[in-house]
Amino acid sequence: MMSRLNKFWTTVLTIIVIYLLIKFGIPAVARQVTGLPFPLPVPGALIFIYMVLVLVAMFLLVTFDDGPLNEFLRPIKRFLRGDFTKPVRTIGIVLISLAVGWYVYDNVVPKITAPLALRIQHPSSNFPKKMEDAQNPMTNPTEAQVATFIEQAKAGEVQFIEQVMPDIEAWMDETGEEDPLLAINTPAIKKFRAAVEAGNVDNETARAALLEVRLYMGRALYAMNCRACHGDSVAGDGPMADGFKLRPINFTDNGTIETIVEGYTFWRVENGGPGLPLEATPWDSAMPEWKVSLSEEERWLIIMAEYDLAEKTPRMPEKH
Amino acid sequence: MNRKENMTFGILGAGLMLMALLIPTASDAKTVPSGPMPEATEAYIEQGRQIYIRRCSFCHGLLGDGGGPAADYLDPRPRDFTLGTYKFRTTASGELPTDNDLFRTVSRGLPSTAMQAFDNDVIKNGLSEEERWQVISYIKTFAIEFDDPDLDPLKTGKTVSLPASLPPFSAELVAKGKEVFEKAKCWSCHGKNGRGDGNKEFRKDDWGFPIRIRNVTHPWKIKGGSEVEEIFMRFTTGINGTPMPSFVKSLPEEDRWALANYIKSLQHDLTKHQVLKVLSVEGDVPADPADAAWANAQTMDIRLAGQVIAPPRWQNPSIEMATVQGIANDKDIAFKLTWDDPFKDIKHDAAKEFNAAEIQKVGLYSSYVAANDMIPRALDTFRDSIALQFPVKTPSGTQKPHFFRGESSNQVNLWVWNADLAEGGGEGAVEANARGWRQQPKPQKEAQRQLVSKANWDQGQWTLVIKRPLLTSDKNDVQFEAGKFIPVSLNAWDGSNGEHGLIMSLSTWNYVLIEAAMPISVYIFTALGFLITGGLLFWMARKSEAAPESESI
Repeated sequence: MMSRLNKFWTTVLTIIVIYLLIKFGIPAVARQVTGLPFPLPVPGALIFIYMVLVLVAMFLLVTFDDGPLNEFLRPIKRFLRGDFTKPVRTIGIVLISLAVGWYVYDNVVPKITAPLALRIQHPSSNFPKKMEDAQNPMTNPTEAQVATFIEQAKAGEVQFIEQVMPDIEAWMDETGEEDPLLAINTPAIKKFRAAVEAGNVDNETARAALLEVRLYMGRALYAMNCRACHGDSVAGDGPMADGFKLRPINFTDNGTIETIVEGYTFWRVENGGPGLPLEATPWDSAMPEWKVSLSEEERWLIIMAEYDLAEKTPRMPEKH
Repeated sequence: MNRKENMTFGILGAGLMLMALLIPTASDAKTVPSGPMPEATEAYIEQGRQIYIRRCSFCHGLLGDGGGPAADYLDPRPRDFTLGTYKFRTTASGELPTDNDLFRTVSRGLPSTAMQAFDNDVIKNGLSEEERWQVISYIKTFAIEFDDPDLDPLKTGKTVSLPASLPPFSAELVAKGKEVFEKAKCWSCHGKNGRGDGNKEFRKDDWGFPIRIRNVTHPWKIKGGSEVEEIFMRFTTGINGTPMPSFVKSLPEEDRWALANYIKSLQHDLTKHQVLKVLSVEGDVPADPADAAWANAQTMDIRLAGQVIAPPRWQNPSIEMATVQGIANDKDIAFKLTWDDPFKDIKHDAAKEFNAAEIQKVGLYSSYVAANDMIPRALDTFRDSIALQFPVKTPSGTQKPHFFRGESSNQVNLWVWNADLAEGGGEGAVEANARGWRQQPKPQKEAQRQLVSKANWDQGQWTLVIKRPLLTSDKNDVQFEAGKFIPVSLNAWDGSNGEHGLIMSLSTWNYVLIEAAMPISVYIFTALGFLITGGLLFWMARKSEAAPESESI
């Protein structure tokens, strides 16, 4: 039979077990819960706070009255008095002192780790206020644009951006079709074409079809300009992603494009890494200043497609 | 133990066991479907077509001919589905793939290409198993071969499966595989060390596009998969549409398995650290890349990506990794760079350089350079080059110049080495300064140049040593002070891949550190910690001995 364990040892053991649970248990559980391919470590400062709380609790428990306190102190006193033989005491004291010495050394010795820069992901210090309420003109076509679209569809001459035309024309040549809309015959476009043919097209049907056409163009522009880094998956895992220490943003992540207004997304696409304030470490960002290469319409088309591909909606601007 | 403590321990034990159970397992992408492909009815194929237009057509084209809007910028190009030729199969050479082969490729993607995983277990907005089958049923309509039951590998029995017994990875197996590598002349294309440098010219695939012979030492580039089983499968099936044959007839199964293990053994393990510790030496720093001293210096692998930040953008870089080492004495510092490049390009024809102004207008077609027709990708056209980049002013905090050539207010110092200059007998390395990517880096005046370099190309690999005094009097130079984290990044060009100017690969910031002598305070604090603790404890021990027994218990 094992003899009853002394309060001193149960206290020490409890502290160790709780520490291990915080250090390894929580990250392991977090990994199961989040389903992410890596554990989520508990920040050092938080571990410190938890351990202080544990120590305070243990201290209260031990010093609650004289009984437990004496029980707790007994092995310490016996050790110091040399009841476990004097050599054991000497070795114990030397080992404890060495441990303290090592701890001090470990804390003061210069460490070879890259200087860490704290990075604010969505800085707002230089975000122009007027962009807060910006609406994507591509997802909000005007009445006039819808009317023009209906006219173009009636004539079989819906306009696409020039980037997608070679592919659509090749498709028309091969299939003998004369209406470019047929190349992307989605349900919304089918319904719209049927309505156009029947001569009773309403604005809602036309608007839905126009959005389909714009989404198609936006996706093409995304595939041409953004895909290399942010990926087909819009998860920040394109073929270029591994080359950048600061990985391209994962748009399917809940903390990214969903938490910002569309005007902010536009502003980030427009100004890229160089447009970031210092707290967002612009020197690490590979995001291009897309205003250098893409027109405003192209940028809005891409943002429209980006939200659609990520299956997210932008945050609504606050009402003033 | 009493009851209460039993319980405490019970709970703690249970907690520990729970932890052990929750230790995460690697979540494998499901690449094997739960059942055979459902019957492809017209409605089913139409569902597939809707997915195809949204997710596939921008690369593979509305006609499935690999001619989508993004196709020209990609290398390898998107698959042309109309021929029914597929690279990654579990069927004999030249045969069609099985449905499960297509399912595997759509599910897991092809690593390091534009074809990414579409499994919705891997990516959040991916395709469900049914959606993947739907899109595959549509893709199969592009090639008439799939309609012919006589060509169905499942019916003709021309499928390939893994051998029943596979000896595990071992040194003997690798040694045997090396013999097979020699015997089967794998090196005639892949090079003696597997770096894809065996051929003296470019190879072309069945569609006439230049293809790169795989550098098998870079596992992240192995499209069919870098595991032994996957490598074995390539030897067995061949890669349709490319010169890679099947070795079913020429090599017995156990030889192919040994060879796969050998190839696995060649794969490079990337280092993880971001700080390069420079080795301090007493005598001269080595000037030659072959110097034995380099064996003692720490290596740091730096990954590079295509320059996709400013036009002309380039997403088909050849150099994706370079290894850096550093050795310094009290006067000089030498860096050694090692990177793979299948061709030694030592000529440069400036007249063939791409005029970036052609694609620098806003809203123009695309700011990327098309992979195969906008720039010459040929031997003897452009030189191989590499550049180390440092901030001129070593940052005191974390603020650095932008990794892409700095900016107007914060310039960078580039040590550019050009193969053509070195080959001509002159100094290959030139010091230059840049303030952003909009202007070309400005070479320093002859009198200010202090770099000395020596390079060697062997078996598909460049090694280069560049050295310079640690400190200079030039205010445009980086200064190497001990104990400071000095940011470093790379630019690299493979000439025969058409790379020059901003058509290059580049890395983000890493650090170089020359260790400072250990401050004396470290020893003092450590000794104090030890002595004070020991002293206190002994004092308490003495006091306990003197204290009366009754008081303490």
